[in-house]
Amino acid sequence: MKQPRMSRIYPASSLAGLLFVSIAIWYAAATQGNAAAYLLLFVLTAVFFVSIPHTLLNLVGLKVRAESVKPTFAGSEVSLPVEIVNQSTVARHAIKLSLLSCKGRPVRINHVPAGQATRVTLRFAAFKRGQHQIGTLCLECVYPLGFLRAVRSVTTRQQYLVYPRPAGDPNLPLECASPGENKLQTDLGEGDDFAGVRPYILGESQRHIDWKAVARGQELMTKQFSTETRGSLRFDFAAARFSDIEDQLSQLTLWVIEAERARRAYGLLLPTGEIPPSLGQAHFHRCLRALALFR
Amino acid sequence: MKTSRDKDTRIPRRPFLWLAAALLFTLPPMCGTLSLWVPAIFLIALAAKFWMEPRGYRLRSLVWKLVLGATALVCIFMSYGSIKGIEPGVSVIAVLMSLKILEAHTGREFQVMVMVAWILCLCGFFLSQDLSIALCLLIAFTLLLVALIQFHRGSSVAFWPPVRTACKLLAQALPLIAALFLFFPRVATGFRFQIAQSSLSATGFGDRLSPGSVSSLANSTSVAFRAEFPDGRIPSSAAMYWRGVVMRRCNGLEWRASEEPASMLRSSQHTPEGEGIRQWITLEPYGGHWMFALDWPATPAPGTTLAPGNCLWSGQPIRKSKRYEVTSFPEIREKELHPRERKLLLEVPATISPAVWQLVQSWKATDPSPRAVIHTALQFFRTQHFRYSLSPGEYHNNDLDEFLFHRRVGFCEHYAAAFATLMRLAGVPARVVVGYLGGEYNELGGFFLVRQADTHAWCEVWLDDRGWVRVDPTSVVAPDRVNLGLNLFLERRAAAGQLQLGQSTLARTLARSQIFAEARLAWQTLNYAWDTRILSFDGETQKSFLGEIGIPNTEPLPLTGWSFAIAAGVIGIYAGWMGLFTRGGGDRVQTLYRKFCRKAAGLGAHREPSEGPSDFANRAARLLPNESDRIRRISNAYITVRYSAAATSVAIEELAREVELFAKKRRLRPLKLKI
Repeated sequence: MKQPRMSRIYPASSLAGLLFVSIAIWYAAATQGNAAAYLLLFVLTAVFFVSIPHTLLNLVGLKVRAESVKPTFAGSEVSLPVEIVNQSTVARHAIKLSLLSCKGRPVRINHVPAGQATRVTLRFAAFKRGQHQIGTLCLECVYPLGFLRAVRSVTTRQQYLVYPRPAGDPNLPLECASPGENKLQTDLGEGDDFAGVRPYILGESQRHIDWKAVARGQELMTKQFSTETRGSLRFDFAAARFSDIEDQLSQLTLWVIEAERARRAYGLLLPTGEIPPSLGQAHFHRCLRALALFR
Repeated sequence: MKTSRDKDTRIPRRPFLWLAAALLFTLPPMCGTLSLWVPAIFLIALAAKFWMEPRGYRLRSLVWKLVLGATALVCIFMSYGSIKGIEPGVSVIAVLMSLKILEAHTGREFQVMVMVAWILCLCGFFLSQDLSIALCLLIAFTLLLVALIQFHRGSSVAFWPPVRTACKLLAQALPLIAALFLFFPRVATGFRFQIAQSSLSATGFGDRLSPGSVSSLANSTSVAFRAEFPDGRIPSSAAMYWRGVVMRRCNGLEWRASEEPASMLRSSQHTPEGEGIRQWITLEPYGGHWMFALDWPATPAPGTTLAPGNCLWSGQPIRKSKRYEVTSFPEIREKELHPRERKLLLEVPATISPAVWQLVQSWKATDPSPRAVIHTALQFFRTQHFRYSLSPGEYHNNDLDEFLFHRRVGFCEHYAAAFATLMRLAGVPARVVVGYLGGEYNELGGFFLVRQADTHAWCEVWLDDRGWVRVDPTSVVAPDRVNLGLNLFLERRAAAGQLQLGQSTLARTLARSQIFAEARLAWQTLNYAWDTRILSFDGETQKSFLGEIGIPNTEPLPLTGWSFAIAAGVIGIYAGWMGLFTRGGGDRVQTLYRKFCRKAAGLGAHREPSEGPSDFANRAARLLPNESDRIRRISNAYITVRYSAAATSVAIEELAREVELFAKKRRLRPLKLKI
């Protein structure tokens, strides 16, 4: 992550007001020969001048680190966690963090004490599927007086993935069912029907822990489920329902989601390659990733 | 570490509290000078805002805004009879600010309010330039800064940090303020317009002296002027007659100056005698033309004229604090009195009663020489039970009889007027001089403070062999008044039970106490410094100052360049300084350890990111057997300093030394071999 040290400084909109007030005071002082008014003018100008380094240096010593982004579906919100470390010896105030490339609402960080870090989440809308660059993060501040805006941009090479927007017919296509195998099998903990408990294995997902048993004072147990595989599904891109690729990808995405929800093994057949039928979170994301990066 | 989404554009409560406090401090200059309803409305608007804000009310309707604004304008017009001028102008701004307070609700409007408040500070300086007002406005200004800082800080609830930041900004701005104040050009704008001047506080210096015009000032503590004697030649307090206006037109107990000051513009040419006394006088603004100096001023300051009668007359009315230098001489020889002038100086009104005429004739009958007449007249005041009093009762202009024969109680203006009139009746040319007598010496600042209460009136009579001679009839009636100054005189009288003073004895004892006196002295000195150093620093003073420090070019443009160059320099220094001292970049221990790792990497032992310090030390010691001892020492020191609670600065220094030696040794070795 490239971190240029210096920030650039721009006039903020209220600088026009300050300019107007200063000129008014100067004019009044000059026409009246009023030394006290002159003094007021000088105090105002001097404080403004002195605030320049304060504004400029308010962004120095801040290290910005964009963390990894969870993939989202197009049309929903991307959450980008950002860690801001204050490496300087003084507290930093009133920093606005935004993303240069999109019009997401900037996040305000009121206070980062010296030598400490804070974490914020930038949220912005994901419009298009695919792999995107986060691009440039903008640090901005108008502290302390608000007449100047210091801007520092931090370029990141971080990327984020947007899955296609799920849309179309939510009913799973029956014609995709692969023939033959119609046997009952016990899946590793995944499925619809409760099939007993076994001891919890450290590192395992906590989703299926039998919390009620824990509440009764027993050991941690994992519930097991069995599922009846009614034949796995194979979603074929070529069996087009839509002429538009994006619509087709949306349909496939929806099916993948529905199949995962219905706990039916599913696979993808894309022109770029095939993903054999399976189930589970890893498979789910693998399929969606393939769809997101399609062509 | 609070973060919040930036969705709320409403004015947060805390910055608004600061703003409100600042606005309260802009009120004092308004209270004395504007119609009372203007600050009242201002206060009501502030209070209303605090009531409305939590309930979500505000002034929304444009029609209402227009109606209220128009009503306010009409009210201002009715109060002042005009919309032009300083007071109406300031009232308009104050009223508009009140409306803005009621209306504002966004962050942007908050900024606007702060700026209008700055304008209100400016208005305060137009109403009064007193030091106390200036301090008030300085507090207001600081509070505005605090409000802005708090506003930009967001929802932090801490009380002191914004105040500290504001004070820091102001403190850092101080050298800049000084530089700008000294170097920024004071342009006399060609497009000068004169805001119609406010009526300044009344002083005794109209162009007439009527009974009661001086005594009404006897309780006024406001400052008339301050005087410094740069050469250290200080006349005695009894001889400190500060000359102001010369009155020549006699009307019994009332005297007037010549009606047309412009006719006196031919300057008088008298040869001064004796050693001159140089004075620096800082005159408070009072709206008149007369300027003051010790008897007898001979060298007029630039921009002033030495009018006949040796008075200083300023072409411009004195509306701002004015500092000037003048030299006075104890005596002025005037050769002769022009017959026409003599006739003028002997004019008496026709309303003089026969009794007065008779009195004067009786004096002349014994000895007609002017000196004898003057002596007799003074004897008359001394022996005929005349009393000196602050409240002599009301006299009318023609009440000379009443004063001389019946009541026989008066203040200095009564004695001066009566005496001069009597002299004219006796054929001695006489005139009345109104000025100040005495003054309070400030030891701290080394200057004399002359107050309005020191206003005094005395006479001058023409003696053919000596010219104009000062005669102060008050000194005959109440000699202590002249010797002690009015305040002391009154106090002695009060102590002797001769005078009933309205003030409580507590206030009086308090005023006499040591601490109070010292505080008062210090405050006066500060005031004096403010008046002489700040308020009277105008284009002329600046020019001479720049000449003194060797900048001959006083054109506005290069001066502006100068001042901004200085400003840029100061800011550059600040920026560098702040950048240097706040950079940090991790703590020292971390930096040292990183340096150690860098050096080790240079020798071939790269530390993996996942490697802990002791693991790395073991591996590096194996890789670099020559340095293994030092590597272990550094590593142990680092771990101690980093992770034990008992990290001392000594240990850190030890670590620093070891790290420093770690790479140097290799380069030193060949050197050792040579020896």
